[in-house]
Amino acid sequence: MLLSAQNISKAFGSFLAVRGADLAVAEGEIIGLIGPNGAGKSTFFNCLVGDTVPTTGRVLFDGIDVTRSSAEAHARAGIGRTFQVPATFEDMTVLENVMVGAFLRHHHRGAARETALRIVEMTGLARQSGQRARSLGTPGRKRLEIARVLATGPRLMLLDEALAGLTPSELQQAIALVRRIHELGITLVIVEHIMEVIMTLAERVLVFNQGHVIAHGKPREIVANEAVIEAYLGRGHRRRRETP
Amino acid sequence: MKSILSPRVRIVLLAAALLLFPILFSGAFARDIGVAFLLAAISASAWNIVGGYAGQVSVGHSMFFGVGAYTPLLFYHLWGLPPVAGVPAGMLVSLCLAVAIGMPTFRLQGHYFSMATIAVAELIRIFVGTWDLVGAAIGLQGPAVGRAWWDLTFRSELPYYYIFLAVLAVVLYTTFEVERSRFGYYLRAIKAGERAARSLGVPVRATKLKALMLSAVFTSVAGSLYSIKTGFIDPESGFGILVSVQMVIVAALGGAGTLFGPLIGALLLVPLQTATNTWFGGGGSGLTYILYGGIIVLLARYEPGGMHEWWQRVAPRLMRRSHAA
Repeated sequence: MLLSAQNISKAFGSFLAVRGADLAVAEGEIIGLIGPNGAGKSTFFNCLVGDTVPTTGRVLFDGIDVTRSSAEAHARAGIGRTFQVPATFEDMTVLENVMVGAFLRHHHRGAARETALRIVEMTGLARQSGQRARSLGTPGRKRLEIARVLATGPRLMLLDEALAGLTPSELQQAIALVRRIHELGITLVIVEHIMEVIMTLAERVLVFNQGHVIAHGKPREIVANEAVIEAYLGRGHRRRRETP
Repeated sequence: MKSILSPRVRIVLLAAALLLFPILFSGAFARDIGVAFLLAAISASAWNIVGGYAGQVSVGHSMFFGVGAYTPLLFYHLWGLPPVAGVPAGMLVSLCLAVAIGMPTFRLQGHYFSMATIAVAELIRIFVGTWDLVGAAIGLQGPAVGRAWWDLTFRSELPYYYIFLAVLAVVLYTTFEVERSRFGYYLRAIKAGERAARSLGVPVRATKLKALMLSAVFTSVAGSLYSIKTGFIDPESGFGILVSVQMVIVAALGGAGTLFGPLIGALLLVPLQTATNTWFGGGGSGLTYILYGGIIVLLARYEPGGMHEWWQRVAPRLMRRSHAA
């Protein structure tokens, strides 16, 4: 397994945000992580990327324990992540943003710039490469975050609602971009609310609710799962379905 | 819209202006202002590396300035050595101080970091003010009359002007190289967002510490130049909070995080300070605080990016207007 999270729990005081969650990701897979708001998926995500140290459990990346490693160490190991609210470097240009990522593998400016140019081209940001990040709209910023992570040369990318808030046409372009990234051999874990994205891209889906993993399987199995339907739509919906 | 002058031409013109200034303005008063301008520009450029590029607003840089200022005169006072011999020692002590201060304070962010730097600088000032070895509250004096040229006690301002100019050139060239390097990109990324920078593999604390060390060394040199030129140092003129505040204001006024911002800031602030001192004389003591306070309020309200950013916004409009006319 490329990534293996075993029995992850995270407590904030007496509140248990994640309760004994497991995840195993094989190299080359696309995994979807879904769940209603407050289900604990963001906390679980943060445990995977080194932003939060879990209270119990451990995270292995390529067989190495990275549970207590810093976010920098995660990036160096080959784990890249995007943020739910884009955290681009606003006063730097698009190309400079991507170069910050590229500097992880290239110490010299020329080599980093070359990599960054190749990536802005691939991610469709070439025309905006000289613009400051703050001049981009939300879709552009989300794309820039993906480009920046790509420049670090990751083996695993974790996308935190990277496709949320896009128009239908932007969403199709973004899905195509994620597919291109996958074709490069990069493994993906996608946290997403949009079922279209999960159904189109994910090979397996994990569903979170109240800190637990309540379902796990192929997208088609997940949408028919009673526990998932109840978590998303509530018990009333189940009763309505049962009442003729 | 591109400017008529390429960056290279602008740099050549700036260098020529700085080189020719004391020749064109040979009066002692003008040269004195020139030297004060260069010293303010060196200090603010040094502060700019950590405060401007990395966004770690230290308001305690006087600790490095003071160390740099005291060490040359201490070398003279204790062993009769030429003050200039104490400059490398000042740099080394400042470097160690930067490591000792940076390691714990870089756990803090934003205002907390700024407050911690003020506290440390004030503690050092109070300590130095009671330490007999370094002259306590009275301070230290350098050689009144130079024993040889290496005592660097000149009657004219001219040699000081060119020594200071050479140091400024070194600081600016280093900053230019930093700006273009991986280190420089990392500093700007940290300023924009530490969490995002970390997620891209930026070693945030180590990068901030390196920036503080580099900044401390150059600030120490600025302090040494000051004490060698004036031949005197006391706790207030070396470690006083106004020394730190001046660095911050000069850089912020011109444009923190830009190569020439501190120069622009010094160009505006030093003549203004000299003018207020001349007009109000001794009756204007405390006016510096009002001036600094006024500048902080105006910058925060109208132009947080400083004059450099203002000019970048205004220049294209002026160019368009002149083309249209």
